Amino acid sequence: MKIHLKVNGTDHDLDLDETTPLLWVLRDELGLKGTKFGCGKGLCGACSVHVNGEVVRSCSLPVKFADGASVTTIEGLRTAETLHHVQQAWIDEQVPQCGYCQPGFIMAAVNLLNKKPHPTDTDIDHSVTNLCRCGTYERVRKAIHRAAQTAAEPLATAETQTPSSS
Amino acid sequence: MQTEINRRSFLKTTVLVAGGFMLGREFLPVLRGAVDAAGPVALNAWIKITPDNWTTLVLSQAEMGQGIETTMSAIIADELGADWTLVRRENSPVGPAFQNPRIHWQFTGNAESIQSFHTYIRTLAAAAREMLTGAAAKKWGVSAASLRAENSHVLEPASGRKMSFGELAAAAALIAPPENPTLKPRESWKLVGRVNLPRVDVPAKVDGSAVFGIDVVVPEMVHAAVVFPHAIGAKVASFDAAEAKALPGVVDIVPLGDAIVAVAEKYWQAARALAAVKVTWTEPPAGNFDTATIDALYSDAFAQKPFEPVVHDGDPSAVISAAPAGKVLEVEYRSPWLAHAPLEPMNCTARIDGDRCTLWAPTQGQEMCQLVVALTLGIPKPNVTVNRTYLGGGFGRRLIADYAVLAALTARAVKRPVKLIWSREGDMRHSSYRPAFIQRARATLGSDGLPSALEVRLVAPTILKPVSPGPFPNPKIDPLCVETLDELPYGIENLHVGFNLLEVPIPTMVLRTTGAGPNLFFREALIDELAHQAGSDPYRYRRHLLKKKPGNERLLAVLDLAVEKSGFSKPRADGHFLGLACGHGFGTYFAQVVELSATPDLVIDLHRVVSAIDCGQVLDPGIASASIASGVVWALSYALSSELTFKGGGVAESNYDGFRILTLPETPSTETFFIDSNGPLGGIGEVGPLGIAPALTNAIFAATGKRLRTLPLKRHAGVKTGGVLNLS
Repeated sequence: MKIHLKVNGTDHDLDLDETTPLLWVLRDELGLKGTKFGCGKGLCGACSVHVNGEVVRSCSLPVKFADGASVTTIEGLRTAETLHHVQQAWIDEQVPQCGYCQPGFIMAAVNLLNKKPHPTDTDIDHSVTNLCRCGTYERVRKAIHRAAQTAAEPLATAETQTPSSS
Repeated sequence: MQTEINRRSFLKTTVLVAGGFMLGREFLPVLRGAVDAAGPVALNAWIKITPDNWTTLVLSQAEMGQGIETTMSAIIADELGADWTLVRRENSPVGPAFQNPRIHWQFTGNAESIQSFHTYIRTLAAAAREMLTGAAAKKWGVSAASLRAENSHVLEPASGRKMSFGELAAAAALIAPPENPTLKPRESWKLVGRVNLPRVDVPAKVDGSAVFGIDVVVPEMVHAAVVFPHAIGAKVASFDAAEAKALPGVVDIVPLGDAIVAVAEKYWQAARALAAVKVTWTEPPAGNFDTATIDALYSDAFAQKPFEPVVHDGDPSAVISAAPAGKVLEVEYRSPWLAHAPLEPMNCTARIDGDRCTLWAPTQGQEMCQLVVALTLGIPKPNVTVNRTYLGGGFGRRLIADYAVLAALTARAVKRPVKLIWSREGDMRHSSYRPAFIQRARATLGSDGLPSALEVRLVAPTILKPVSPGPFPNPKIDPLCVETLDELPYGIENLHVGFNLLEVPIPTMVLRTTGAGPNLFFREALIDELAHQAGSDPYRYRRHLLKKKPGNERLLAVLDLAVEKSGFSKPRADGHFLGLACGHGFGTYFAQVVELSATPDLVIDLHRVVSAIDCGQVLDPGIASASIASGVVWALSYALSSELTFKGGGVAESNYDGFRILTLPETPSTETFFIDSNGPLGGIGEVGPLGIAPALTNAIFAATGKRLRTLPLKRHAGVKTGGVLNLS
């Protein structure tokens, strides 16, 4: 089946098995490996991407249902020069452990912040349902609150400080 | 040749006897005389310097979230005098220079990357530093003692002149490595222990560019998916692949013993083809056992099997027999079967070139992969190259090599490079598991209220054998299974610990916390029970018992600190209750307090977890705190929710819906405090979870009077989200 996708602002015309989950189209057809395979059943959220502005678990979305859609992946958040402020907050709070689930968490957090620029803890509890096997949840929460602050004061985020050895 | 062998043996013996490290021939510059003018100069196997003054560190240890890539680099950079902003890293191949110097085997686990490598990598870095200063001394015609190495330069303070490492490297490589270089004193470290270094792997982990095993791309590569039988030990009896092979993109369907592998141009084509294969499996050798069958093996062991003595002091049996009826506490504690369930499913990429094999694997067991794949393919061990990627979680699962073997066999069968990715279901149901541990104990108190006698019997299958090639000192005792019961810190005069090494029809292996996790759950909850029976406060009771034995100063210090920081001994008006646990594991002392509130019918709200840790020296406070905090959350998962059950001869759970792990709303806040005792370095990665299960159940007892002795606690009822656990 012929499928049209706009991924991170670039148009793609694809001809493939329409039952292929969006996850594997992104990873194998388009080479966007930042979106991860974790459970295959929409349980863990490692495959979270934005489809037409909604956060979606791409392992469980056959690509035919995304035909014509605009998709944003973890690779599409930053520009060549600058990280997305949520990614910067993730660095500032040093959120990841193994890091495998983190693109999914970041996509969920960006979606939440797009809808609620100043989420409460309860908002976070209800919106961020991804799984992290390493247990980084406490720092995920802190990073979302930090990102809410830095969004209010854009360009206030500096590159993470790097200590000099002098 | 004979001389060379003797020299190697001498070096190894010296290392073992002295407990220090000398630079054997393995570590001589590998590129001497073959230095590319613009390329890197290797001063030894770990340290390469390029003319543009960048230092590349070749690191042996797998990064799976514990921050080892950063801390190891910082240790070397400090000792070398390298500018931290001019340091980059690559993952090591398999080789003698990268083996754990304690056991001469290359792996990442047991919280010992820092413990085992610290002196070794400092020695390598100090030797490289002395070669660089030696080269500058020669050029300038001065004594090396008058020179310093810092900021990736060698400088002469008297004159102010300096040269970069990049300018000196080629000359330095021609200098014989010193066998006993001088290590810098701790006071002169600039990075290690001084700053919370931003982790070097974090930027790539937030923009999606970090390469995990599942992300590897190799030219000409095809993709593979695999299905296993439900029943453990069953094999392919017959299969019909005609329909599957007709599907688009399919390369081949490959039967591999207890697996059917579908190979296709794309992963989803492979997964679809796999579903179209009609396969029948042999009857499993162990039959269609279920959870009750396995439970019965444990009960049978307690009833009928001999127990090997692990500890025997005094005559606990006589003391307990003489105790008045009603004065003997008899308890049973149970920890469940668990899967590692790292979020990145098992996977590996393999390429076969004649009698050589190249692997790309997210592995904790780089040498294990090399060895097992070489044996499987019947090729020499050095013919297997293992490229290590980032690991999407490990927890011990990636110490073994089953995923590498399957990928290598598939690549050989289809004569193309293959990336083989397991499904989550395959990952959970076709694994080696942390087995259930069951402890039964009898204890009685003396007139002072302290335990006068304690008898413990532990039943557990092996966890060490699958990851350790050597035999046990006593074949009836798995040394990891009895951890923390073999050396009680508490002074109990009449003490017996017996162990039965259970045979089960299920593959078993280590999981993070090894045997210490389940044994500390039992031990630290039992101490709480004894304190309650004695009418004593669990903190003061532990203090008394610890004071009865010498050498407990560091444990007492973390206990006191955890109590102080948590307010354990203070009266409270907020309805919160606290539970305590302490101990020693992986070279580190810990005490942890769980704070919660609970209704009489067991609706539990977790508030806070306080950890006090003495790992000797804290090399990076930020990374160490994060590791402890995440270990706390990880342990709450298995204390509260995670459990495997069995049916039909296999694992019943197949995904994160059945095998529950903690979610964000359920996670309490954590606080971690360190004591820098300047003692021997201890581990961190395995320590965070150690006291959580007993501190949690002790807090529930404090709040409700209910003593929950079986994990996970969801067995006592459902677990609600929203930070509230309904255990009624």
